[in-house]
Amino acid sequence: MTAQLRAELLKHRSTFTNLGLLLGMLGLVLLAVLLHALSLPADRLDSASNQVEVFRFGPLLGTLFAGLVGALSITGEIRHGTIRPTFLVTPRRGRVLAAKIVASGLVGTVFGLVAVGVAVGVGSAALAARGIPITLEGGDYTLMPAGGIAAAALWAPIGLGLGALLRSQVATLIAIFLWLFFVENLLIDFVPGVGRFAPGAAAAAITGLDRETLLAPALGALLLALYAAAAATAGVTATLRRDVP
Amino acid sequence: MVTASSLTKRFGELVAVDGLTFSLHSGTVTGFLGPNGAGKTTTLRLLLGLADPTSGEALVFGRRYRELDDPARRVGAVLESNDFHPGRSGRDHLRTLALAAEIPRGRVEEVLELVELEPVAARRVKTYSLGMRQRLGLAGALLGDPELLILDEPANGLDPAGVHWLRGFLRRFAEQGRTVLVSSHVLAEVAQTVDQVVIIDRGRLLTTGPLGDLTERGRTLEEVYLELTARGAR
Repeated sequence: MTAQLRAELLKHRSTFTNLGLLLGMLGLVLLAVLLHALSLPADRLDSASNQVEVFRFGPLLGTLFAGLVGALSITGEIRHGTIRPTFLVTPRRGRVLAAKIVASGLVGTVFGLVAVGVAVGVGSAALAARGIPITLEGGDYTLMPAGGIAAAALWAPIGLGLGALLRSQVATLIAIFLWLFFVENLLIDFVPGVGRFAPGAAAAAITGLDRETLLAPALGALLLALYAAAAATAGVTATLRRDVP
Repeated sequence: MVTASSLTKRFGELVAVDGLTFSLHSGTVTGFLGPNGAGKTTTLRLLLGLADPTSGEALVFGRRYRELDDPARRVGAVLESNDFHPGRSGRDHLRTLALAAEIPRGRVEEVLELVELEPVAARRVKTYSLGMRQRLGLAGALLGDPELLILDEPANGLDPAGVHWLRGFLRRFAEQGRTVLVSSHVLAEVAQTVDQVVIIDRGRLLTTGPLGDLTERGRTLEEVYLELTARGAR
């Protein structure tokens, strides 16, 4: 599988797709963090829980974009037809998908790292510039970045598994957006007892957010790992069974 | 080398390939002919493990393609003329395939030279003409220096010089004892290149054999082909 992994990593490096995604993610992180850190009144930014609300856009967007990286790594090949030469060279399709899971997990980790780093760095700087002291404790400062990066790494295989099932690039990207920003919000608002077990909520839980509603971080991590394994298994099974487009 | 036995593929009600049986021998160029929608591409996809047959069997070197140990070094194939990421360079496209097949990087440069794409190898594929894309696809198929080439409509988009080059290339390839299966609907071109034909229509075999047997008594391949496919349509 090393050969396939090297091929997959070169696929990630040799187009501008990932760079475009990274820039889009950076723009959104900056926009969201700065809007909150600079425009909210100081008395709504002084507590640790308020400050977490500013930084949380790092893990949130890192997770989303890692999911997109995973989804594009399979739907991009289907859309452009490169899936055919890929499977002609490596007809053991499971090997190709295993390599894709690892490669997009690695790229997703980088996305998580960048998103979290920029959110914490720029958010802290913006608060400091307004003279608002950082009240987050060491634990928050460790859990949020580490959790955000782990959540991103696990969302890449979720995106990939979904992409391998749906195969259409547009449908997969719309499904991920709709799920994370619409369905899960509704679930958390109206049936939080169910919503807290959803994959986006599990990702947020790892970062230590909103512990009253969400699961404990360790439980969130475990649940998200199960989602990732289930999505990857479903994607691999479907790809082994169905004809190549 | 290549055998299809009672090969059948259904898509719901549609029978795309219907009990097809034929075989290819090494050292030959075989033309795979038939009207549009006859099932040529589906047959090639079955041979190459991209689709699974509903019944029957397609074997390459005595095994199903998906069970070959090192397929890139035994079989080279091009099914579509545009299976590239538009934003990736031609060279990087070949390098991704070479990495997956554990083919040394120097071979990428060799095949680029062979298909005369070296000057544009660093450019993104979106800037390539159809003829350049055809040659890039062929370069990918040749990476592993295979014994068998399977090409679907390789002459599409090639200019006369390109067609001439391809014909010479396929002949030399077969003269080394290797095998080519090439689908086409440009009969005049096929008549100059192939020594065997497999003609199908509506998923069924119409005829197979040496081109010389078909065109005896001065008949052209076109006359034979039109007669056979017209009979099938009745």
